[in-house]
Amino acid sequence: MSQNVLLGVINVLLVLLLSPLLEGTIRKLKAFVHSRVGPPLYQPYLDLLKLLGKEEVECEGNALYRWSPVVAFAAVLGVALLTPMGLAPPLDSAGEVIVFVYLITLSGVAVMASGIGSGSPYGVVGSGREMMLILTVEPILAIALIAVAVKAGSMKLSDIVAYQLSHPYSLSMLLVTFSLFLAVLAQLAKLPFDIVEAETEIMEGPFVEQSGPRLALFKWSFYAKELIFASLLVTIFFPWPRIGTPALAILVNLVKVAIMLLLVGVIDSVNPRLRIDQAIRFYGALIFVAFAGLAFAIVGS
Amino acid sequence: MGALTCYGWALAFLLVGALVTFFAGLRTRRLGGLALMFAIPGCGLALLAAVSVFLRGTVSTDPLFTVPGIGAVLLVRLDPLSAFFLAIISVVCFLAILYSYRYMDIPWFADLSLAGYYAPFLLFTCATMTVVGMVDMFFFFIAWEFMTLSSYALVIFDRKRKERLRAGFKYFLIMHIATGLMFLGALVIYSFGKSFTFDGLRVTLQAMMETHPATVHFALICFFLGFATKAGVLPFGDWLPDAYPAAPSPAAAAFSGTMSKLGVYGLVRVFYEILPASNYSRTYGLVIALFGTLSIFVGTMTAMMQEDSKRLLSFHVIGQVGYMLLGVGLGVYFLPKEPNLALVALAAGLFHLLNNAIYKSSLFLNAGSIFYKAGTRNLNEIGGLSRLMPVTAATAVVASLSIAGIPPFNGFSSKWLLYECSVFGGARMPIFMGLGIIAIFISAVTLASFLKFFGASFFGKFRIPQAQAAKGDVPASMQVPQLVLSGLCVFLGLAPLLPLRLLYTSLLDIRPQLGVAGFAELFSGSVSSIRLSFGDGVVATWNPAWIALALLGFCLLAWGIMRSGGASRRTVPSWYCGEPHSDHETHFPAHGFYQPFKQFFRVRIGKYEWEGVYLSFKYPSIRLREDNWLTRLVSVDRWFFYPVVRGFYRLLVWFSGSHVGIPHVYLTWAIVGVLAAIALVFSLH
Repeated sequence: MSQNVLLGVINVLLVLLLSPLLEGTIRKLKAFVHSRVGPPLYQPYLDLLKLLGKEEVECEGNALYRWSPVVAFAAVLGVALLTPMGLAPPLDSAGEVIVFVYLITLSGVAVMASGIGSGSPYGVVGSGREMMLILTVEPILAIALIAVAVKAGSMKLSDIVAYQLSHPYSLSMLLVTFSLFLAVLAQLAKLPFDIVEAETEIMEGPFVEQSGPRLALFKWSFYAKELIFASLLVTIFFPWPRIGTPALAILVNLVKVAIMLLLVGVIDSVNPRLRIDQAIRFYGALIFVAFAGLAFAIVGS
Repeated sequence: MGALTCYGWALAFLLVGALVTFFAGLRTRRLGGLALMFAIPGCGLALLAAVSVFLRGTVSTDPLFTVPGIGAVLLVRLDPLSAFFLAIISVVCFLAILYSYRYMDIPWFADLSLAGYYAPFLLFTCATMTVVGMVDMFFFFIAWEFMTLSSYALVIFDRKRKERLRAGFKYFLIMHIATGLMFLGALVIYSFGKSFTFDGLRVTLQAMMETHPATVHFALICFFLGFATKAGVLPFGDWLPDAYPAAPSPAAAAFSGTMSKLGVYGLVRVFYEILPASNYSRTYGLVIALFGTLSIFVGTMTAMMQEDSKRLLSFHVIGQVGYMLLGVGLGVYFLPKEPNLALVALAAGLFHLLNNAIYKSSLFLNAGSIFYKAGTRNLNEIGGLSRLMPVTAATAVVASLSIAGIPPFNGFSSKWLLYECSVFGGARMPIFMGLGIIAIFISAVTLASFLKFFGASFFGKFRIPQAQAAKGDVPASMQVPQLVLSGLCVFLGLAPLLPLRLLYTSLLDIRPQLGVAGFAELFSGSVSSIRLSFGDGVVATWNPAWIALALLGFCLLAWGIMRSGGASRRTVPSWYCGEPHSDHETHFPAHGFYQPFKQFFRVRIGKYEWEGVYLSFKYPSIRLREDNWLTRLVSVDRWFFYPVVRGFYRLLVWFSGSHVGIPHVYLTWAIVGVLAAIALVFSLH
């Protein structure tokens, strides 16, 4: 019990304190690709600090609009408790892959509530896009995680990681990793799937009426999501090597996460934005890849 | 007082209430109050009976009455499964009647006699309660028929619009075909075993399975069709999206909370209790699960396209019933081989039924509240109602998140169990994996649809078609049912093991000889935490209390972080890039939601249009052409009456030619006539 609490504190602190640094790294990488100097690595921290002190300018939305950033932030931190980050997932006895998927959806719901609640047409359009992305991406997320769970014979993330550590890579895992990686791009709102916010088009969509500390919470929850999803991907699909020392395990995990996020950053900086219907079609095709992975997992290859 | 006494008195109160309200001759609220006076003891006693059965176990009467000749016996038995449904019915129907007290007061119903509403409503409550107590197919059908007829009266209550009468007729017709089929199924089995009781049917089926496989299949198909039609499973549930919106909102809430569920009750009784575990179970388990998933997919996808609040909810009734059928189908399928998995799946399906009864009734009441205030069901015409009715808005959000399966509300717990069952069932029979994935996908579609529902009605700019609405939320007697139901949503979300334990034991109670593991082995948890195992090791965990606690703690943390900078706050109008716009211009109607996604599911070929994935076309009206032989044959006027009448008329005209007006001619006629008469008389002799 006390060990779980310790693990939980470690995960939450990791997510809260290190995720802006990873975001800074991605920004630096993007600047490199664009042949710019780019902001310093600690720029996201400065952004958050600045936003936390700024005046909150709110429109006449309802309570859900006002509380949406808090819910989004809490949901993402809740997900952090379910995610293995080098060590065992802290709340393993309280939730498994399906709970994981639906808590992520809860943070999406908060984003949509912010957009719809603001009453701004930009916000509603952005929320509608978020919903459509969830509609197409969530099944892929679920299929991929279920495929791994079927191989491991258990839905618990700790069992899945343990199984993956002791078994070599297989065809089903290849397909599943591929589809999950692409699904994560949309979850993290990275190009070419940065459709919900689309700053140049609908002015950050759901966040158009959010400012000051509340915008800071939303931004922070997005940074946190990057770390969480990258961590999930690498611990489930690249768990090797097995490391005994906890501190070293966390460090190795972070290095793997950084590499994963750099890959995401490269894709983000060389791609244009897709339209929502193109994205739906893309994921509609991808879902068959995920299904193929699941089918292979069922037959055991 | 024993459970049966309570049950009997409850039925008596409701029946007498139905008669009294029908003949009382009171108007508006007074009649509602009178109905409540009967509903409170009726529903209260029924709930008491249910609780007593939960605590003390099954009770049954001696045969009260036997139909001579056919051997049907009137026998009341309340086992825990009946009690479970009895509890749902009593709570939902009572809340709906309480809600009606003020809801039926609106000017819309002013020129209709409310006796036509409350009397069938009480009768409906009484009939549904009777259905779950019957253990003899013959009397089961009598109660069932009373339920259908009283609900028909509720569907056509608001008869100002023609389409409602048409919906009522369709409902009446389809229901009777379905009931006829069920009765046929029962008769077929009866003809072999000469018994209508569930136990008798079970024994007969057991004997018939070896000797008459085709007959057994026929009877089972009849049962399946009948109950699936009542539950609203597609494609047999086509009546549902017409009939439910036609009934007043509280009645629709009661229908979706109780009547649709009794279809599932019937399926469980027939395929779990009556049908012995065999290869038939596997076939029909698969059939039930497949039709369930079809309903999930088609019903919910279609619901997403709807812009009429009650029609949207009606399609969700279809979709949600599919989830229950998925659970029941999984359970029936695995009954012979994997009883542990089977019982968990059945319990999951029934748990979803309980949850759905709660949040779906709440949603229908929410839609009623919107109608009460805004005077419309069209989601395009309203907006921003949360400012006017915060309580309704809050309950609608809770119910919507529950139905969409967002943790930690109750809908998630049951859907979670269903997903687990389909995944682990899928590992043994891969088709269930596909069905489970469809269910997961559709859960997101449900979320989309309800985001539209509460987003369009409660969020955004204030907008209402009536010139001005009365200030404040709906009256307290309408708020209380909504609050109670959303409170139940939260409570059952946090304590899922409580109903699951009841369901599991009640399922075991029906089939004690299955040889499955005990509740503690499969669910091994305390009040809140589920640690699911199907016999070998914990494979999945879900602890809503911890997750909710963590979320709450993180909410506080987030709030602390938000306030840490000491930022000041200012409220401004919405920003439209610096240009002034009227509210009308910036209104985002429900119609505009998810257009790109909807485009993928809209097909039109000729006069057939797939609305989403739901085939919607006008039923051809029968109109024969004038020169059709059938028309000519049928119109007796044309070939018999008119020719005869015309001939007679012509005869008269010709005869009137003799009327010349000259006395000599008349005299001549008279002499000729006399002579002819004399000649006739003489010739005869």
